[in-house]
Amino acid sequence: MHSDRLAADVPAKMPQADKAHGFMMSRTYSSPGNFDCSIGRPMRLAEIFVAAEHALKKTISNPDLQKILSSVENFEQKYMELTKGAADNYHHSWWKRYGVVLDGEIAAVCFKRGNFDLAAKSYEKVCALYAGEGWEDLLAEVLPNLAECQKSLNDEAGYLSSCVRLLSLDKGLFSSKERQAFQSEVVSLAHNEMTHHVPLDVSSLITFSGNPGPPMALCDGDTGTLSVTVWSGFPDDITLDSLSLTLMATYNADEGGKLRNSNAIVLKPGRNTITFPLPPQKPGSYVLGVLTGHIGQLTFRSHSFSKGGPADTDDFMSYEKPTRPILKVFKPRPLADLSASISSALLINETQWIGIIAQPINYSLKGAVLHIDTGPGLMIEESHSIEMESYKKAGQGSVGTENSGEATKDSSAAAKDCSPATDKHFEQLRLVSSKIEFPDWASDVSSILWIPIRAIDDKLARGSSSGAPEKQSIVDRMRTIALKLEFGISRNQIYDTTIALHFSDPFHVSTRVANQSNDSTLLLQVVTLHSQLNATLSVYDAWLDLHNGFTHAGQGNGRPISAFFPLVISPTSRAGLLFCLCLEKRTAEDENKVPPENILNIRYEIAGDRTIGAHPPATMKSNENDEDANKNLVFRSTLVLQQPVLSPCLAVGFLPLPSNSIRVGQLVTMKWRVERLKDIEEKRVPQNNDKMLYEINANSDKWMIAGRKRGHVSLDMKQGSRIVISILCMPLVAGYIHPPHLGLPGIDEVSISCSPAGCHLVCVLPPAPSSSFCVPA
Amino acid sequence: MTTAACFIIVSRNYIPIYEAEVGSAAKREDAAQLPQFILQAALDIVQDLAWTTSAMFLKAIDKFNGLVVSVYVTADHILNISKPIHFLHFIIHTRFMLLHDSRSDDGIKSFFQEVHELYIKSLLNPLYLPGSRITSSHFDTKVGALARKSL
Repeated sequence: MHSDRLAADVPAKMPQADKAHGFMMSRTYSSPGNFDCSIGRPMRLAEIFVAAEHALKKTISNPDLQKILSSVENFEQKYMELTKGAADNYHHSWWKRYGVVLDGEIAAVCFKRGNFDLAAKSYEKVCALYAGEGWEDLLAEVLPNLAECQKSLNDEAGYLSSCVRLLSLDKGLFSSKERQAFQSEVVSLAHNEMTHHVPLDVSSLITFSGNPGPPMALCDGDTGTLSVTVWSGFPDDITLDSLSLTLMATYNADEGGKLRNSNAIVLKPGRNTITFPLPPQKPGSYVLGVLTGHIGQLTFRSHSFSKGGPADTDDFMSYEKPTRPILKVFKPRPLADLSASISSALLINETQWIGIIAQPINYSLKGAVLHIDTGPGLMIEESHSIEMESYKKAGQGSVGTENSGEATKDSSAAAKDCSPATDKHFEQLRLVSSKIEFPDWASDVSSILWIPIRAIDDKLARGSSSGAPEKQSIVDRMRTIALKLEFGISRNQIYDTTIALHFSDPFHVSTRVANQSNDSTLLLQVVTLHSQLNATLSVYDAWLDLHNGFTHAGQGNGRPISAFFPLVISPTSRAGLLFCLCLEKRTAEDENKVPPENILNIRYEIAGDRTIGAHPPATMKSNENDEDANKNLVFRSTLVLQQPVLSPCLAVGFLPLPSNSIRVGQLVTMKWRVERLKDIEEKRVPQNNDKMLYEINANSDKWMIAGRKRGHVSLDMKQGSRIVISILCMPLVAGYIHPPHLGLPGIDEVSISCSPAGCHLVCVLPPAPSSSFCVPA
Repeated sequence: MTTAACFIIVSRNYIPIYEAEVGSAAKREDAAQLPQFILQAALDIVQDLAWTTSAMFLKAIDKFNGLVVSVYVTADHILNISKPIHFLHFIIHTRFMLLHDSRSDDGIKSFFQEVHELYIKSLLNPLYLPGSRITSSHFDTKVGALARKSL
């Protein structure tokens, strides 16, 4: 039976080496040998020795056994052999615990003999079994012996590992002094020169976990500080020279970062809160990885999470709990937005306020810095401060204590926000090195920055002569302003944008001839002012600087009567001014000079709100009265004054077509009649012959001309003489098409009166339906 | 009446989950861990013996210097591993082990049975993780009372 096996096979095995001989086991089945000796008197020790030796030699016939029993060393040697054999057999038969008991015996004997190498190997087996099966009491008895062996063998890594394991055992197994001694061994070895730098696993002594609650949330590119709980099982404070913690992405083990705290950290026994600077991480979810660090020369690592937290935390009893995300980095998203407050045009060449709306999108703009860079043709008026105020959504305008432009009576009244907001802010900022710093109140609310700028355009505005306002090229009067917003915890977030600003003159000017006198010397020119701005314009004076053959009619200076002013023009509406002009005789010298342009000057005032559109220019701080300064705005524009055909010399008339309808493919004769109205002036027509050059122009895709398109005809020099020019042509396409046009290349256009005056259309019908059939021959 | 006894509950992973000194014998200072040492070594015998019988009370399985090891095994878990020919059953036990110095099988058996009931009640506690150490002071008190009553 197995009941006595333990007693028979296992001699006195002591858990501690110094107690190797302290406890003797009684052997149930061993019995002492019988000495056959007659005791007459007490024998001396030497006599007993000889008698015993003699008796053994008589009873033991095997010479090997005799040799074994002849000395303590031989006996121990044999004992060791038998014990080792028995241990191996037990291990082979899966009785590993019995085998380990014998390994313990072997280890104790080797340790006693000073054979530390063999002793360490055997003790490692014993410790491995006890540690693997959680018998900490037994481990606490054997592990110090193993540590002694490793220390004697200068096995630094093994010795340190054993010390850590001793410290990891239940605190009740060792006294405080003993545990402190273990710690001091570790620390002193760590600060000495170590032969081999092997990282020490302290997973059983130092554990870590994230703080309870939801994971730390960061936006992409943000830095932060991660707080981690580190549990120390050391009995005393221990100084860590550096500490690092790896982060692992939950969906990709290869992704992650390493957090370092290079400052010396003192870990107290129990719970410690350590903070790590967190550099920007890629978007994703992260869990804690491995904790590493240095104590002097010693590198240590721990990869176990805290299991022994206090009962009120989630970590309590969380043995197999899946790792909880500790950090969540969001995907890149818009964090802020900069936009212009208005899209309508501002006044060019005058100081205007532009509003830039800064809007945080679920992100704080605390400490943000805005860099402002104006493009070509745009400058910031540095004499004025930049104003910043809190901003509310459209419909309420800006909530400010001051509007730069005067609030005029009508149009801007609605733009005023009269409701007193409890959280309105207003601040004046200075531009330093092309940047401004956001105040703290603008961290989490939308705000609007008013920047005083001036768009510069040296070119004079040019009017048009047609009745409809000619659209100016947007690109000419467009300016850009580059904005770069730096924000975030370490100003790591950047928002770049370029805003296009539209500028315009207050008016676009167009002219037309309203009427003319019979002798064509007087012209009534209507100058139409088209308001280009979303603001009310009041005209106080207007005058023409005339050149190029025109002059004011009458005795006065041609200025409109002052009683007509002020002329108020609503936003984007039109007004007109009538000037009476007449032609001016020009001398021969004037003919050769390059005539200067005719310029319209308008003195006006603008009334608007910077929150809606153009507005009165931001005035400089001077003694000048603001009101007068606004009225001294002068707009200048060149004019195209029409000079109608006042004295035609020739008249060209298109004669009616022979039939009302012409068809495609039908030959039709087109006729023009040319009549001489009066004598022709020298410069315009060659006078010496009556030959007149004519030319017929037609779209070759639509007309086929059969005849001479160009040639000379004779027209008598007398007034009233006539000639008819005709040509045969055929329309090629159906529809309303322009007919061929008769031109007189040698004669100035202004001397020709055409009838009809402009292009006209003729109706061409499709070809007549036809039917035909082929008759075979 | 058993005078010296050490009672250990060993989980199916061979990890001691409960330990108690029962009986009135004084603890020897020079061999404080001897009971654990003996009981841990006896696990090999239990491992072999449990295969040979379906009984839960294995009685005295080992002896050491007048101290006897009595064992009681539970049938916690049955693993079936199928192979082409054989159908293997692995029965994983929780072991109640008592190191005592006198033989009183009836008393020991009743002690084991009542501790077994107590253990089952512990397993029914949803806050108790099976295989972890039993730290309940109530359990401790009850084991002591049962030992005084049965041993």
